[in-house]
Amino acid sequence: MLITLITSLVLGIIGVFCVVVKKNLIKKIVGLSILTNSVHLLLISIGFRPQGIAPIITRSNQIIFASKAVDPLPQALVLTSIVIQLSVTALALGITVMAFRHFKTLDTDKINKLRG
Amino acid sequence: MLEYTVFLLIISAFLMLAFKKDLIAIFSTAASFIIICMAFLFKNIETVRFGGWAPPLGIVWVADKFGLFIAILITGVSFLVALYSTKYIKEKKHRFYALLCLLTAGLLGVSLTGDIFNMYVFFEIMSISSYAIVSFFLDKDAIEGALKYLIIGSLSSSFILIGIALLYGLTGTLNMADLVIKISHTPPYLTAFGLILIGFAFKSAIIPFHAWKPDAIQGTPIPAGIIFTTASVTIGIYGITRIMFIFNLLTLTTAFIFFGVVTMIIGAILALIQINVKRMLAYSCISQVGYITMAIGLGTRSGLISGFYHILNNILIEALLFASIGCVIYATKETSLDKISVKNNTLLIATSIGILSLAGVPLFNGFVSKWLIYTASLEVNPSLTVIAVVISAITLAYGVKIISIFFNPSGKTIKIPKAMLVPVVVLAFLCILIGIFPHIGLSLVEPAVNALLNQNHYLTTVLG
Repeated sequence: MLITLITSLVLGIIGVFCVVVKKNLIKKIVGLSILTNSVHLLLISIGFRPQGIAPIITRSNQIIFASKAVDPLPQALVLTSIVIQLSVTALALGITVMAFRHFKTLDTDKINKLRG
Repeated sequence: MLEYTVFLLIISAFLMLAFKKDLIAIFSTAASFIIICMAFLFKNIETVRFGGWAPPLGIVWVADKFGLFIAILITGVSFLVALYSTKYIKEKKHRFYALLCLLTAGLLGVSLTGDIFNMYVFFEIMSISSYAIVSFFLDKDAIEGALKYLIIGSLSSSFILIGIALLYGLTGTLNMADLVIKISHTPPYLTAFGLILIGFAFKSAIIPFHAWKPDAIQGTPIPAGIIFTTASVTIGIYGITRIMFIFNLLTLTTAFIFFGVVTMIIGAILALIQINVKRMLAYSCISQVGYITMAIGLGTRSGLISGFYHILNNILIEALLFASIGCVIYATKETSLDKISVKNNTLLIATSIGILSLAGVPLFNGFVSKWLIYTASLEVNPSLTVIAVVISAITLAYGVKIISIFFNPSGKTIKIPKAMLVPVVVLAFLCILIGIFPHIGLSLVEPAVNALLNQNHYLTTVLG
């Protein structure tokens, strides 16, 4: 439990660092993905239970279900969030392609024309 | 009934792509506006349970007067924008309308939902369609604005998601009413609160989280700019107020007043030095958000009323200014204040009404809410009132800069299509109407404030 929390924290910090510090657009987008995946890890670890079973009711596990099954809600949240992350990344990469066609570079310092 | 507005908007977004008829978008935004207005007039609070699961287990939508108040403003603006863009957007118009419908659906979903993760999902629907709409023209400005908006926006959304994950881990519930009961004010909870708050502050462009906004507005088509400076900002403030409501922190005054005042001052000063008219309007919007944040942060009932009144007025004024300046940009294809010089009496009058309202001159609607803000802040701290009055004067200064484009003798007369003039005239009329009869606005604002302050009613209705 603790180790997943620490891992997700470290991943989150790496993600934010990537987005804020790196100058390359692709690296920034990778950073965003890492950040979101760290949140997914956090969510999954919230629903985790040692020696838990999959949250599917069958005929044989009805008695132990409430005491053993892991929390299914975070998994549903993570699925939703993955879909959202997918579309954000797709859109970001699409816009990056357009940016490369216009500016002939992926360096954010050189793309930065609008200021003030 | 209310949930169908969002379904209608999402379906019409896809119909738009299939059939390419402007009427679909105009009809769906108008229909949702009418449905929301009906709900505001005749229902006190309405809950929708999805899948028949009782809250806090299932997803539930709660339309109280506060959410409906915001929803009226959003759908009203997007209806006017849908009318406005029939002529403004010339190429790939169906794509623009599809994005507009999705954007409105997202905004509407955020304001009506009673489940915090559901709120995040709608928030993302809104964000992703915003990123796409900013990059609509695919030229250099648009791409750069969209990139900045996308990276900063996704970062802020991730903060909101972390906050929600923490809240779920601590309380085991996602229902807002259930959260109100289970929350305590210990450090882990406050971390979650801060993370969600930062996420929404990015959306409403409160300084120091404002960097994306002027760039995004400069690249975006004018009709979408209207939505960004009015509806998107409003939804950010709605989110902040809701989160304060969940955490029972409506008295979290000092931080809000501080950031509000900073936003107000820096926004107005940066607006003054802009040359590009779109950027100037973006900064003026940021400055007005400062007023709203400060007023809501006052924590008193009169503070909330003045803040909400200013939300209403900010939407009318910014939409009016953007729409009328947008007509000029439509005719001249020029955004630099030095180079535009035109003659058109309707637009001159409409822009003057907008500027005078923005500066808070009596008999215009800006005066009503600014007067309420002055009196509300006078009860808390007189120096806030002084700052607010001084910033109003600066507002008038950059307003004069905008209006001067109509007074150049060498300016050429321009003709504007009727479909674009109708929203401008309607908004200008509403500005004057609310300025002369302030209680029309109050009849919208007071129920919203009462709904927000009467927490027990919300809780008992949702949890039954």
